[in-house]
Amino acid sequence: MSLFSIDVGSQLVDLGSALLLLTCFAIVAQRRLSACVDLFVLQSVFLALTASLVAFLTGIHHIYVAAALTIVVKAVIIPRILKQVIEHVNVKRELEMNVNVPTGLLICGALVILAFFITQPIIPLGFLLTRDSLAIALAIVLIGFFMMIARKKAVTQVIGFLVMENGLFLGATAAAYGMPLIVELGVFFDLLVGTLIIGIYSHRLQDAFDSVDTSKLTTLKE
Amino acid sequence: MMLQAITLVVAQAIVLLAISPFLVGLIRKVKARFQCRRGAGVFQPYADLAKLFRKQPVISTTTSWIFTATPYILFASTLSAGLLVPTFISQTPMNFAGNIIALVYLLALGTFFLILAGLDAGSAFGGMGSSREAIVASLTEPAMILSIFAIALTAGSTNLSTIVHKTALMEGIVTDPSPHLMALAALCIVALAETGRVPVDNPATHLELTMIHEAMVLEYSGRYLALVEWAAGLKLAVFLTLIANVFAPWGIATTLTPAAMGIGLVTYILKIAGLAMLIGTLECMFAKLRLFRVTDLLGVAFILALLGLVFFYILRG
Repeated sequence: MSLFSIDVGSQLVDLGSALLLLTCFAIVAQRRLSACVDLFVLQSVFLALTASLVAFLTGIHHIYVAAALTIVVKAVIIPRILKQVIEHVNVKRELEMNVNVPTGLLICGALVILAFFITQPIIPLGFLLTRDSLAIALAIVLIGFFMMIARKKAVTQVIGFLVMENGLFLGATAAAYGMPLIVELGVFFDLLVGTLIIGIYSHRLQDAFDSVDTSKLTTLKE
Repeated sequence: MMLQAITLVVAQAIVLLAISPFLVGLIRKVKARFQCRRGAGVFQPYADLAKLFRKQPVISTTTSWIFTATPYILFASTLSAGLLVPTFISQTPMNFAGNIIALVYLLALGTFFLILAGLDAGSAFGGMGSSREAIVASLTEPAMILSIFAIALTAGSTNLSTIVHKTALMEGIVTDPSPHLMALAALCIVALAETGRVPVDNPATHLELTMIHEAMVLEYSGRYLALVEWAAGLKLAVFLTLIANVFAPWGIATTLTPAAMGIGLVTYILKIAGLAMLIGTLECMFAKLRLFRVTDLLGVAFILALLGLVFFYILRG
């Protein structure tokens, strides 16, 4: 713990959260589905590193377990499921979106500023060394939500959902040094099952409509 | 004192003018080596410039005074922009003349006249190049201004000499790495776009339909072409200097002793030569983007710069 000062540690945590936010923007700007998955892996690795850093700085050991689970579940298992889905549905890139890329980037920039203004009155009340990351965590949640709205393909919507979860994890680490381990375990299990279900659902969507475009689902109405 | 200042300004102008063809040659050499060619020597651009200056220019009868005035305006504005950036000494004598905003708009002045000159000759390719350059320039400007503001905030000044001086001595600046990182990434994209490099423009292209910068200057020849080419090299040198000295000013002379200035000059040349080699490498790794995808890339640059600014406020807590 005495390896570096708390001030430097806090700045490194900030840098880790900044890199997380950066990968969010890269995902929003990316059209190729497999590259989106790779960027999500990168984001999860950054998240695990940031969480481990917090664990190291605070000496709270269960954050290490959550970080290890992040690597296993979000950087290995879920990407593998998603890549399989992409291979099956044979869609390489997303050409049509509800919001085009430059506009999407601008909206995400606005979301970051919004998150900053929302958390601004709360942050000075905190006393944890990770408290600055709260604004970034909220921004990541909002951007993940935006991804789910802006994209049409089921796979990228799943990635938006996973990005949201990454944001929540960062938020929990920032605001309270992580959730209790039993809650984390539950969340990871939910994520895994959720991704599996959406994977199967994409397969069915592909078989029924020859497309994983979720906007096609509106044709189901009577 | 006055004499010393004048000497330093002249020295800086000579360094910039002398090094810019070398940078262009170095990038070409690196690209050639990556493509398994031997390539021309790194000093080839000097010979090209010398030859162009001796050639008689041919000027279309349909052009106005803008066409002949533009190379001089472009060259002069780019060189004056270069004099505002600290090269090998952190306190440039010209720093009273303008801050970062002046730098951005001096460069924009040259671009503006080049766009007019592209239209002036009335050729289809020139007009096409001008229209594309206008798109790129209007998209890079906000990104560049914002990224530079993020840096200015951390140093508490918009004066480039002050920023570089404070960063080199590591005093009186906000040391949080995140805003610097975002601004650096944004400025790198802007530099590639503004100097007409891959993935935005390809300086080595022979196909007029894909040109941006080259299409605008198709009508130029002789000494006018030499000035335009030299100004393009200068612009590259200005951007590389800006990136090298704002983000990594270490080694720059903070005092005016001969030893410090010598070290400053050597590290300066090494730094920007390293950056030029990096650009050459990047040009071999990436393909040129389709023109309509350039907006995506420059959108990313703008957002990065914006994030740099926002982070400055968020992360101060």
